[in-house]
Amino acid sequence: MRRLEMQHPLTIVTILAAIGGISAVCMDPVLLSVSLIGGVLFYAVRHQGGRVAVYLTSAALFAVLALLNPLFSHNGKTVLFVVNNAPVTLEALLYGMVAACMIVAVLYWFRSLSELMTSDKWIALLSVISSKLALVLSLSLRYIPLFGQQIKRVRQAQKAVGLYKDENIMDRLRGGLRIMSTMITWVLENGIITADSMEARGYGSGRRTTYTVVRFRRSDALLLLLTALLTAATLAGLYGAGTVYYPSFSFAAWTPWRAAGYAAFCLLALLPTILEWTEAIKWRYWRSKI
Amino acid sequence: MIVIRQRRLRRMLQIGIPFVLVPLLVLLGALVFDQQRHLIVSFGVAVLSLLLFAAGFEKRVTGTRRLVLVAAMTALCVVGRLIPYLKPVTAITALTAIYLGPEAGFLTGSLSALISNFYFGQGPWTPFQMLGWGLLGLFAGYLAKPLTRSRILLILYGIFAGVAYSVLMDVWTVLWYNDSFDWTLYGAALVTAIPYTVSYALSNVLFLWLLADPIGRKLNRVKVKYGV
Amino acid sequence: MEILAIENLTFTYPEQEVPTLRDLSLSVPEGAFVTLAGKTGSGKSTLMRLLKQELAPKGTRSGSIRINGEEVGTLSPKESAALVGYVMQDPERQIVTDRVWHELAFGLENLGYAPQVIAARVAETASYFGIEEWYEQPTASLSGGQKQLLNLAAVMAMRPRILLLDEPTAQLDPVAASSFLSAVKRLHRDLSITIIMAEHRLEEVLPDSNRVWLLEEGRLLFDGTPKKALNRIQNDATWMCGMPAAARAFFALSGEGDCPLDIKEGRRFLQAQFPSPVADLPQSTATSNAQEVLRLDKVRFRYDRSGPDVLDEPELVVREGEIVTLLGGNGSGKTTALLAAAGLLRPYAGTVTVFGKPLKAYRGQALYDGCLAMLPQNVQTLFLKDTVREELADAAASETAIPFDFTPLLERHPYDLSGGEQQMLAFAKVLAASPRLLLLDEPTKGLDAGMKQRFAAMLQTLRDSGKTILLVTHDVEFAAEVADRVLFLFRGRVVSEGTPHEFFPDQQFYTTAVSRMSRGILPGAVTLDDVQRLFREATT
Repeated sequence: MRRLEMQHPLTIVTILAAIGGISAVCMDPVLLSVSLIGGVLFYAVRHQGGRVAVYLTSAALFAVLALLNPLFSHNGKTVLFVVNNAPVTLEALLYGMVAACMIVAVLYWFRSLSELMTSDKWIALLSVISSKLALVLSLSLRYIPLFGQQIKRVRQAQKAVGLYKDENIMDRLRGGLRIMSTMITWVLENGIITADSMEARGYGSGRRTTYTVVRFRRSDALLLLLTALLTAATLAGLYGAGTVYYPSFSFAAWTPWRAAGYAAFCLLALLPTILEWTEAIKWRYWRSKI
Repeated sequence: MIVIRQRRLRRMLQIGIPFVLVPLLVLLGALVFDQQRHLIVSFGVAVLSLLLFAAGFEKRVTGTRRLVLVAAMTALCVVGRLIPYLKPVTAITALTAIYLGPEAGFLTGSLSALISNFYFGQGPWTPFQMLGWGLLGLFAGYLAKPLTRSRILLILYGIFAGVAYSVLMDVWTVLWYNDSFDWTLYGAALVTAIPYTVSYALSNVLFLWLLADPIGRKLNRVKVKYGV
Repeated sequence: MEILAIENLTFTYPEQEVPTLRDLSLSVPEGAFVTLAGKTGSGKSTLMRLLKQELAPKGTRSGSIRINGEEVGTLSPKESAALVGYVMQDPERQIVTDRVWHELAFGLENLGYAPQVIAARVAETASYFGIEEWYEQPTASLSGGQKQLLNLAAVMAMRPRILLLDEPTAQLDPVAASSFLSAVKRLHRDLSITIIMAEHRLEEVLPDSNRVWLLEEGRLLFDGTPKKALNRIQNDATWMCGMPAAARAFFALSGEGDCPLDIKEGRRFLQAQFPSPVADLPQSTATSNAQEVLRLDKVRFRYDRSGPDVLDEPELVVREGEIVTLLGGNGSGKTTALLAAAGLLRPYAGTVTVFGKPLKAYRGQALYDGCLAMLPQNVQTLFLKDTVREELADAAASETAIPFDFTPLLERHPYDLSGGEQQMLAFAKVLAASPRLLLLDEPTKGLDAGMKQRFAAMLQTLRDSGKTILLVTHDVEFAAEVADRVLFLFRGRVVSEGTPHEFFPDQQFYTTAVSRMSRGILPGAVTLDDVQRLFREATT
């Protein structure tokens, strides 16, 4: 099976959103640890190890978020020490760590989502709901680099005829306003040309079809089905009495159901990484045959 | 797809679903689920209301030119968001809404949030940002008449928008961290966000003050000349 | 069979008394290649737009336009969109989507074709136009020429029966323009599709057209073959200045026999006129000792660290009171050199000296205060007001700064002006900074032949009043006419230079049509004036 990046946008979003979504609702330490490991692993595999700065930032974020909760929440009965007459409890610290784990894990998953779902994939996905909206999005995305260039040209042009100054803050503000004003005229008037060009090519002439280069394959259907099953299994397994944090910390009781739920989530959280690995192995195999 | 024919009802739903339903459901969620799952409920509602809007938009007839202008103003917002410290997004969204209508305002706001996150990184906050900015545009569109008549009201709207945006986004920050709504945490979030809130409000006021005239005139010309 | 029939067409814009088009009657057989010529403001665009239902301007129209037997305006939207393809002037703004493949599919999506049909048609079109290589690219990454080719391909994917091209090469450089025009010619040859093209670049289009419409102030002056059209206007200088060099030489010298249209025919004609070798033209060499106004000294510049040097120590010196022209292909560093001279880019090595002072010595705005000013390539970057009057006031520019009559335009919006008029307005704003050194980037973009002549005269008057001008252009003919000195830039270096009469006869490709046509027959001839002079000398 091909790696996640090559799958249909719907598959990419569904898998990553399922993992992220489950992580966001279940304040379960085991599940969230799995989610965090899965998220970091997937990031590392796709980036050949990944960047140290990314790991350091997320570690720092984890620390800050974990310590934040005990400062605000004074529930729990195991008092570690007292700050400004307010008790800092072990339970609040544990809760903070789990919450931090959740946020960092979700951030890793969304990071992968951002990287895998390039703008054209979002457009392909959006065109299923509304082709008009997809078109607006596509137009905007086309305009952005164009506007960036034009702003630079406007600044240069106005500067070179002595109409733009940037010596002090008032000049800068005035100059910025000039550029903005020039840009707005340009943007609006040229938008009309684009609209003409659209109508000349039959936009708005009646029912529209949508053409995309992405294809929905059998593997997509399989992955979607698998994701649905694993998500259902996880939620069913973990439903009911969960981990209790306050007043004192206690794990939920181990039942076969619960174990099955954890197992299902393990598979789900590792699915993206597994896809990545299998493709890499397959490639090595193919290459050795050539 | 259900098509609602009555104009008034449609309009009420348009504001009602995202603005009344979202907070109501979050509140209900707080009571019913008892400290659990507010985040997923509010997330679900945000996504749902955006999808409803999208589906409704698809059915409506929008002129090609209006469509392109919305796309262009959105791109301008995104390019503007790349300016450090000062964010003209809300100002441009509000002015677009005033001259091109509430729907155009909602689109410009929400798409600006979506697209700029292609550059800043998507996250679970994207739907909330989309909804927040979209609503600020939508309301500016409904208030078009008073806002064009009085400069003071426009400035007040800028301040309101800056504060409202912070207040809204912080609810979400708290929910995400704590999963249940905690007033102390919310208070702390609001306090730490004060510099941002002030900078939002100031940017809005500044840009509305400076851009109201040029954008207004220019959008008006295009509206009249090309019949948008 | 007749695919287009226009009868007694008159059109007036709202709130205007004079009709823009008057009583036009025309018919076009299927498979014709029609060139529509006329000065700016003659109504070319209006006529073209009236032929395309979706783009028809608002106003009062009388008479009829029938395409394929059906009246324009009564066609169903889908029918009209598919039947008539339209390519506009601006390559950039016509593109709708952000990917090449999507742009090709856009029209077919609108017509509601099934995805499989779209896939097949898009694939076929992409291979025919040779755009497979950039099929998946973002449209923003394409060059101007590629963009316009994509626009043509996107229209052709809809399989129109008539192709309307409204000055499609006006924004392109000569190389890109030529390749666009050859794509159009190839389409005509391969598919025998009916083409109507409004175009200023008649040198390349006229030989391939089988029909010419000459439009003057909304009236049809002539409708017939190119050769007959030239016969009709041979005595009218305002018309002839835009015509192919071969035809101009023909009428300037004898005007007897068959009028040549292209270089090949032109050479045959000149060979017949000058049977015996001719003496060289007297050479004037430029050895000016005037004060140096601008010098680029060992300047190096690149846009990003890993990229190549765009400026690689070009030896560029401009002296007071001369017009210097920088020629060169795309990416040769012409515009970059100009931006560096204007202090808008910072070279990483070398110094730029303006009026004897290095750029770094100019504090704040001193450089742009009566010292130098630049006319940007895209003049719309200078417009921000609602009327021409305010626009002039914005720069404190006088209406009479240049010999161009702004009076009828004063209350118009700058974007409602024609390309040439916009250029003049921008030029007036630039001159308002009262610079002693003028830097001009592609100043002839969008100007018709008549306007170009007037602009050349304007520049020469400015030079004679003591200004120094450095201009960057793709327009070889204009350079030959206006320049005192020509520099040729290649990969960031000046590789050759000289006066037009030293420079152009030495070039094979990058030279004027007259020079290419008279090579080996009239050594040293660069402009039509040269040919006429040699002819007078040879015949007396």
